[in-house]
Amino acid sequence: MKHFPIIIATVSAFLLQAAPALAHAMLDHASPPVGSSVAKAPNAIVLWFTESLEPAFSQIEVRNASGAVVSSGKAQVNRTQMRVSLNPLPPGTYQVIWRVLSVDTHRTQGNFSFRVGQ
Amino acid sequence: MSTRLMCAALCGVAAQLVPLSAARSHEIVGNRFFPATLAIDDPGVNDELALPTVSRFKTGDDPSVLRTDISGEFSKRITEDFAVSFAPTWTRLHPPGGPNMTGANGFQNLESTFKYRLFKNPEHEFVMSVGLNIEWGGSGAQNIGAERFSSYTPTIYFGKGFGDLPTSMNWARPFAITGQVGYAIPGTTSHTVASIDPDSGDQTFDTEFHPRVLVWGGSLQYSMPYLKSAVVDLGLPDFINQLIPIVEASMQTPVSNTLASGTVTTGTINPGVIWVGKYYQVGVEAIIPVNRQSGTGVGAIAQLHFYLDDIFPTTIGKPIFGNGITTGRPAFGN
Repeated sequence: MKHFPIIIATVSAFLLQAAPALAHAMLDHASPPVGSSVAKAPNAIVLWFTESLEPAFSQIEVRNASGAVVSSGKAQVNRTQMRVSLNPLPPGTYQVIWRVLSVDTHRTQGNFSFRVGQ
Repeated sequence: MSTRLMCAALCGVAAQLVPLSAARSHEIVGNRFFPATLAIDDPGVNDELALPTVSRFKTGDDPSVLRTDISGEFSKRITEDFAVSFAPTWTRLHPPGGPNMTGANGFQNLESTFKYRLFKNPEHEFVMSVGLNIEWGGSGAQNIGAERFSSYTPTIYFGKGFGDLPTSMNWARPFAITGQVGYAIPGTTSHTVASIDPDSGDQTFDTEFHPRVLVWGGSLQYSMPYLKSAVVDLGLPDFINQLIPIVEASMQTPVSNTLASGTVTTGTINPGVIWVGKYYQVGVEAIIPVNRQSGTGVGAIAQLHFYLDDIFPTTIGKPIFGNGITTGRPAFGN
């Protein structure tokens, strides 16, 4: 079938031109940055995602090296940004654990760590 | 009755059972995104379309024949954990390939894969699936080597990310491996073709034996998206943060009914890189045969792969049955 390559090229071009409105929400960047060391303890963790989030099903938790939760209150969501306040952090390593639901109902999750004062 | 072994026809029988170029699925487990691999299948169960996959390499025949494959694969989830895929492949054999050594082209036998995700552990980035691949005999063109009998390959797939390594080994946490082990069972053990010897005028019978083949392979990959989102954000350009350098190995070992084929393992090692976006990925790999029976020279394979669950999340991109809520991939850009 000599037209086979032409057919698949046409279908591929159509899909490349497709303009989807929604996709998975993945972590784009964070403050403090992923894997960073900061001299001064932050008073909040802020995450930026690649898509808008559903506030009711999106959360952040921050734990210290012994596993105790050091974040306080519920995460605040503003479109692609999610923020949670932190208790005063002594020097140490902390893990940020996030779970979100994008507005197209795809669940994603992840975690990373950062250091304070080291 | 004289019986001859059709050695020439049997060259590359194992390879015929498992085409070198095939479209594959993708998977995410916890922090880990396993991209769709080009040479082997991964544990992924998803809605996706690989179109096209183009490969060009020299076969292990004697003399070696330059072969171009253009293939596609459409995978559709029936439930969250079960999917069915269909994969046609168009093949061009350049001269001296084909029955008259003048070249040939046509479709390979249609392939279908039924795959079920057995187990998923986000904490340890581990996933395992089982599947059955069927090559539908007689659906392709015989002049490019498509067999008239069907082949059935039950397969186990797995994937493991190393994100659970201690933070003292942060450099290794973006690594992941995937693998597959299958057993290709031809629908018939042999078949005999009657013909007239042009010299003597006697009737002869040519018997072709079809071996059972262990189909195995794996991939080693280093995920730059994982490095950025879960280990350390180095502030690299987005394009770099979307790359997954990868080495794949795709092997076939005849293990029974090997009277004519022998038991030599054939296969290729494929180093390359995959660029991962929100809605599609692009992969390019070299094809390096592991021995003379696997081919000559270095070939190449490239693939454009669409994530239908992202492009059409409310229609063809979700399971037919189930809630359709899926996990995503670490993607940026496009």
